[in-house]
Amino acid sequence: MQIKNWIAVSWFTVVLVGSVVAQDKPPEKKIANPFAKEKAAVDAGRTQFNSGCAVCHGPTGQGGRGSRLADIERVQKMPDARMFEVIKEGVAGTQMPPSSLADNQIWQLVSFIRSLNLSAVEQDVPGDSAAGESLFFASGQCSGCHMIRGRGGLIGPDLSNVGARRSADKLRKSIEAPDAFIEPGYAKVEAVTLDGRRIAGAAKNNSNHSIQILDAQGKFHFLLKEDLKSLTHYKRSLMPTPSLSDTEKQNLLAFLSRQSLETPAERARRIEHGKEIEP
Amino acid sequence: MKKILLLLLFVSLPSQAEVAFQDLLKMPADNWLSYSGDLTARRYSLLKQINTTNVGSVVPQWVYHVKDSKRLQVTPVVADGVMYVSHTNEVYALDAKTGREIWHYKHVQAKRHDGNRGVAVLGERVFFVSSDAHLLALHAKTGALLWDTEYGGYEQNSQISATLAPLAINGKVIVGVTGGDCGMRGFVDAYDAVTGKQLWRFYTIPGPGEPGFESWGGHPVGISGGGTWMTGTYDASQNLLFWAVGNPGPDFHGESRPGDNLYSDSVVALDADSGKLKWHYQFTPHDTHDWDAQEFPVLIDTIFQGKPRKLLVQANRNGFFYVLDRTDGKVLVAKPFVKKMTWARGILPNGRPDVIPNMDPTPAGRIACPGIKGASNWFSPSYNPETGLFYVITIEQCDIYTTSARPYKKGECYDGTGAEAIPAEPGQFFLRAIDIQNGQIRWEIPMVVKDTMDPWPGTVSTAGGLVFFGDNEGYFSAADARTGKVLWQFNTGQLITASPMTYSVNGKQYVALASATDVFSFGLFEPMRPAPVTLKEQYEGSEAKQGN
Repeated sequence: MQIKNWIAVSWFTVVLVGSVVAQDKPPEKKIANPFAKEKAAVDAGRTQFNSGCAVCHGPTGQGGRGSRLADIERVQKMPDARMFEVIKEGVAGTQMPPSSLADNQIWQLVSFIRSLNLSAVEQDVPGDSAAGESLFFASGQCSGCHMIRGRGGLIGPDLSNVGARRSADKLRKSIEAPDAFIEPGYAKVEAVTLDGRRIAGAAKNNSNHSIQILDAQGKFHFLLKEDLKSLTHYKRSLMPTPSLSDTEKQNLLAFLSRQSLETPAERARRIEHGKEIEP
Repeated sequence: MKKILLLLLFVSLPSQAEVAFQDLLKMPADNWLSYSGDLTARRYSLLKQINTTNVGSVVPQWVYHVKDSKRLQVTPVVADGVMYVSHTNEVYALDAKTGREIWHYKHVQAKRHDGNRGVAVLGERVFFVSSDAHLLALHAKTGALLWDTEYGGYEQNSQISATLAPLAINGKVIVGVTGGDCGMRGFVDAYDAVTGKQLWRFYTIPGPGEPGFESWGGHPVGISGGGTWMTGTYDASQNLLFWAVGNPGPDFHGESRPGDNLYSDSVVALDADSGKLKWHYQFTPHDTHDWDAQEFPVLIDTIFQGKPRKLLVQANRNGFFYVLDRTDGKVLVAKPFVKKMTWARGILPNGRPDVIPNMDPTPAGRIACPGIKGASNWFSPSYNPETGLFYVITIEQCDIYTTSARPYKKGECYDGTGAEAIPAEPGQFFLRAIDIQNGQIRWEIPMVVKDTMDPWPGTVSTAGGLVFFGDNEGYFSAADARTGKVLWQFNTGQLITASPMTYSVNGKQYVALASATDVFSFGLFEPMRPAPVTLKEQYEGSEAKQGN
């Protein structure tokens, strides 16, 4: 009775006392990849991949009949244990079959797929990061539009965590060809109101009835479609293609690749503990 | 190297919409700039477009669904047409006119997931706390992280969390911590709003050699509780912060901690520049019923009993409605605002409760009133200077309180047992209007009796002669602030778990409420205006598409 009472009381306390909200659950025992990032395991995994997976997922993991596995956020956020489970069990209702490989071989595959998804901060990008920083904040004028940890402009995406969010390859492409990928909320738009005012800037949101624009002066314009005469969405990025020497580009890349709000180890630990998944 | 001249076109300049400290002191009107609208927490808005004559025509304007939310506890903040809403480790910026999202920040690094009650704004910064007690500053226009200061000590004690909306004052951001039921030492902290550097800390549990240490009978300081889990208030004329302090620990086992247990269940008046204690008043000395003093202290300047006074008002969880002189903490009024009250006969002239003996919890369980949820709780009361009435959601309930000696164990709660409902005797919610001159209840709106006591509904009052409030059944309603006559209601279809606010954009008044999983915004009905011309909406490289 006393125990039952205590349990009821404890539950009641958690529910009712405003200062006590969710309690942390005891940590579950996590299944870890015994090989992690060992080079030999990555190489062995590549061999497994080429013989069994590449036919659907492509030899570089770019996707085909199967989904893309390289340089993609969905895979980056997947804990190792979950990746292991997907390979071992397959995905019901799709053409992804269960694997007949031994567990060690599956872990090697996990190591290889992980190697296809390294963020820039994990890739130790060569170059003079200090020179890249100087380019970013001074001569290159990048900080006129982009912010890093509170320094810089507003019209371009914040880059404080860009080294963790992008692979080095994607970062390089964003510098060389800004139009290739435009971050949501940063597409260029120009509206003309019924009274003839022209408002240009980044479209933070757009719906059938309203649009929210941040202009170059950092001013918001929240417009109803019924108050507009015309609205043009541009495919081109607000960012011009910078004219940089190869050295400057590499230095900038080295600097940007190191912009991360967590260390790679902290990020890996968080993903493995499933903290990125909702409460 | 060739200069990137084009970039100069987009160099951002200081924008027109920074929130100045002086703005935070203004009575809420178009903007609602802090958790309670202004730093006095009266939750009274000057807006009166919606008033007693037309509130019946109020209709929903938009609904914003907050992904993965279950029990939103936030009061939205609105600055120049932008609404900031927080949820566990997340902040959303919305177009306050349409409810469309502008940006979203998620603090993925957080190591806990608890409720969150909102943001503070100052300059171009938006401040909020993560569940693992970091204070974060975001850019108001983009949601970019500007700084992240760990302050709660979660790594040393995983029972510590943070749930409050920070309080921004002149160049500083003030925060507190949650976890007083689980073995911690509460504090109030001040941080530099620009840099995130700590300016001072005030511990709510005095250490050895400090006044009040003797009030614990040797109970260890580090696990004595005194959480600070709600936003405080600020009086610019005295440069004083007023912060309410939570329960002592272990909550229900008073024998572990003989004495008054300062400054638990108290309000503390702190110098905003130094964090030094100017005065304190303890509502419930040696509490054994978990009656945190957490409802924010409301600051009212008015003619009180014939003389202009600076007052501090609180309808406390222990069942008494208090009016204090906030220059010295002297009690001016202390009167029960619930009928179900068993622990004290009244408050003596010296400010101490006239305690009824033998009402502490026992190992077998003892009935006491109010219940553990308190006569009121963290949900927001409001004060209307035109009526002189204080509006508070009230709970008439008793519970069975049980105690046992439970040694502190790191990583576990330290409550010394707890409380449970009396079978077949559910509590009842009311909205009560209390006259601050004498503590008398002028009117009340009883709510239907239900088994569940889960809702957390609050109030806001306006110059339109209205008090808006949530009920225990998912209805959001408006009553005449003078008479308590209900003039409007809307069924949200959800549990109400937070308190409302009001704002205006382009001359139109809105009333907003976060309820369980959604943010609702209401306004007077207006027929849709047909677009005068057909909008030409085109995508570069594509054929023109006709909109609207």
